Amino acid sequence: MLLFVGMDWHKGLSPEEMQKVSEQWMAWFKRLTEQGKAVAGQPLERGGKAVSGKDGRVVADGPFAESKEAIGGYFLLDVATMDEAVAIAQQCPGLAYGAKVEVRAVRAECPLASEAETQLAEATA
Amino acid sequence: MDAKNEYLLLIRGKAWWNRLPPEELQKTMDHVKAWFERLTESGQLNVAQPLARKGAIVSGKTGRVIADGPFAEAKEVIGGYALLQVEGLDEAIAIAKSCPTLRFDMEIEVRPVAEECPMTKHARQIRSEEQLATV
Repeated sequence: MLLFVGMDWHKGLSPEEMQKVSEQWMAWFKRLTEQGKAVAGQPLERGGKAVSGKDGRVVADGPFAESKEAIGGYFLLDVATMDEAVAIAQQCPGLAYGAKVEVRAVRAECPLASEAETQLAEATA
Repeated sequence: MDAKNEYLLLIRGKAWWNRLPPEELQKTMDHVKAWFERLTESGQLNVAQPLARKGAIVSGKTGRVIADGPFAEAKEVIGGYALLQVEGLDEAIAIAKSCPTLRFDMEIEVRPVAEECPMTKHARQIRSEEQLATV
């Protein structure tokens, strides 16, 4: 999964530049989709809420962290290795303007299940 | 799918399941599984996946890797995501509130999926403001 970090890096760009980067971004996604490497991708609205606490009793307004760390969108990739995912992330048109891309592997298995297996293995060892 | 009704849940927190007692672990797994199944059956959940706690961060003009490795203990680390299809933000928030793992000090970010890239929208807004200003 590619998580696009930062929602304010485009400030200071002219409308024409924003349009250009936007088009480059969409072309990038289209290319990846055609290659079968991207299976999904969406931009996120600036707002939202952060839910926490027992029974989710705390509901805070966004942005949650500083805007420069807020997630602006994501791609879901289907590639064989982390290296390949990183190489794709390095193509992001927003990087030149201050956007960052977090690259995270999707786990095959729920971490709870892995933990259960680990404990079982240790218990029966 | 209509982006207007899609919400992304970003689930943040530490790896609270590490060293959890077996009974608690099993109970929590059952709760989480039931939660996902209920949401999937009702059509409110499109997809949900856990993320590995290590990864890389790419930054700068040359796209260099500025961080690489486990993000293990940080509280803000995104441990998984879920894509919801619901009527509105209130419903998405209600679903987030019902997540069985909140009690382990998780934070669930509830974000509306945008219909178009906010940057494109912003560019268009600036341009129409400029046009109005020259009238």
